[in-house]
Amino acid sequence: MRLRLVLLVLATTSLVLTAFLLPLALLIRTFAADRAVDGAVAQAQSLTPVVAMVSGDTLALAVDQLNAAAPDRPVTVFLPDGTTIGARAQVSDGVRLARSGRSITAQVPGGLEVLVSVEGLPGGGTASGGGLGGTAVIRVFVPDAVLRHGVMRAWLLLAAVGLGLLALSALVADRLARSLVRPLADLAGASDRLADGDLTARAEPAGPREVQRVGTALNGLAVRMGELLTREREYSADLSHRLRTPLTALRIDAEGIADPESRERIGEGVDAVEGAVNEIIRELRRPVREGVWVTCDAAAVVDERARFWSALAEEQQRPMTVRAAPGPLPVRVGPEDLAAAVDVLLDNVFAHTPDGTAFALELVARAAGGARLSVDDAGPGMSGRAAVHRGVSGEGSTGLGLDIARRTAACSGGELTVSSGTLGGARVTLELGPPLEPKYRRGRRRHRAASRPGRGNG
Amino acid sequence: MAQLLLVEDDAAIRRALIRSLSALGHAVASAATAMEAVGHVVEHRPDLVLLDLGLPDLDGGEALRLMRAVSTVPVIVATARDDEAEMIRLLDNGADDYIVKPFGAGQVDARIRAVLRRAAAATPADATITVGELMLRPDAYEALLNGTMLDLSPKEFDLLHYLASRPGQVVTKRDLLTNVWRQPYGGADKTVDVHLAWLRRKLGESAQEPRYLRTVRGVGVKLVDPTQ
Repeated sequence: MRLRLVLLVLATTSLVLTAFLLPLALLIRTFAADRAVDGAVAQAQSLTPVVAMVSGDTLALAVDQLNAAAPDRPVTVFLPDGTTIGARAQVSDGVRLARSGRSITAQVPGGLEVLVSVEGLPGGGTASGGGLGGTAVIRVFVPDAVLRHGVMRAWLLLAAVGLGLLALSALVADRLARSLVRPLADLAGASDRLADGDLTARAEPAGPREVQRVGTALNGLAVRMGELLTREREYSADLSHRLRTPLTALRIDAEGIADPESRERIGEGVDAVEGAVNEIIRELRRPVREGVWVTCDAAAVVDERARFWSALAEEQQRPMTVRAAPGPLPVRVGPEDLAAAVDVLLDNVFAHTPDGTAFALELVARAAGGARLSVDDAGPGMSGRAAVHRGVSGEGSTGLGLDIARRTAACSGGELTVSSGTLGGARVTLELGPPLEPKYRRGRRRHRAASRPGRGNG
Repeated sequence: MAQLLLVEDDAAIRRALIRSLSALGHAVASAATAMEAVGHVVEHRPDLVLLDLGLPDLDGGEALRLMRAVSTVPVIVATARDDEAEMIRLLDNGADDYIVKPFGAGQVDARIRAVLRRAAAATPADATITVGELMLRPDAYEALLNGTMLDLSPKEFDLLHYLASRPGQVVTKRDLLTNVWRQPYGGADKTVDVHLAWLRRKLGESAQEPRYLRTVRGVGVKLVDPTQ
């Protein structure tokens, strides 16, 4: 933005300078020419009485003196008898015209000739001193160099002034731009930090009034966001307490049931409710846990979880195949949530297929960005989409797991699908969307590690 | 038999826990508010306090600090919050252990016994544990097999430590989830199987050829001395 402002000022200044300096340069040239011509006219006119009154050698001497005094403007006198005195010169059309009694200025090759007609010479005269009659013409030649004398220097001076003014305007524009851009950059930095989860980030309202208003509004928004998140955390904690406290009483009472069969049945029910409550609380905490720009490397996470499960696969003699596209494969999911989703898919395979059942993981990049994870098994299969929704499972589980994976995919802009796999059993496919990255953050792309403290190998 | 003080404002839990813990042989007194609990601690000096954080008159954390100011009685905190920051806060404020709701009476009893054991200097909890050629040093988080250090993750060590502390005793998956992972059963319980598989691999054995880790089908797993 700073550069644009400077360029704008430079362009404007250039236009103004061009509009002012160009005519001025032309004026200088015209003025120089006029001055030269005026000098030549004065020179010619000073000789007029001499030509009218004097003749012969005296006239020639006068002309020679004049030429000696101003050699850059040679003077020639064309006498009525056709002879010439002074500098050599051709009889041009202008001279012939001046002989008719008109004083003119005519353009000739190499410059201008100022022609002054002198009529009614008394008694006529020739260069030899005889009697004169008719019209003589005094010619003063002004070369182009004299016409343009001093113009180039003046133009160079104008150019220097113009460049100096441009440089000054660029400097002033840069200073002005800085004063505009700095508060905007500060605003952008504060909004970046807010988006990254730093709710203490604040902008310093400065600069033009409009920018100050935006800064003040952003700070207000940050305060509001902090309040909302605090309220959400408190609500989450309160809900956690309100749900888990009666469950505790229920569990303790269930453990006190005398009949073992009833105790186990009710205990399983309490376990299921506990799992659901935990998942609700976990989902409530998701916006607090993650920032706006949540992302992770799907290749690294899938690789790590596949390695984690490989030990159990080997122990249960389950052939395991992993085909993963080389990373990084950024997706719009946090590493913990993606690892949990992968664990859910693999947990389902181990829980609902017998030992020795082969399974395969495949991770590919999507053309539109993000990634696609498929888990195939050679087991008995799964009943369509019903198993994906909460609370539905034909295999004795709550169905919560796939619902967790489905919501993880949905939060990333993708989806979860269940179909028949190539190994003869079920295939669960997780489509994960690409991370949200505005253009200006491309240079600061971050890839978070797939580590999950407290789970896996940690 | 231990003299316990149960600090819980929820009447249903209070009733259920008193009944269960009494059945397990403990003498249980109860208080429904923080101030009542602090008064009881000063006057009656119980062996252990089971403190719920959601008290009506004072935040549980403040109640814990008050108790610590007047007594060194072991305190187990019961909380509905399971995030790591909360756990750290509780332990830093002076709790000896914590238990996440919902919990069963058996889990509470196990924690009570563990805390009382640690409190009694006769049997330090960090003593070296030896089972056959397997040796664990809990204070150093080290495990050796035949003199060779085992490369265990923290969770694998916790799992091995729990099993090695009960040699020959069958431990159910529920016990492991509750006591090692501190998670409710019915969640990702397959993670216990995966960790057991990794532990077997690192102990140089397999489910087909077990040595230390023996699976009791349908019940759980136990750690035994293979030399016996």
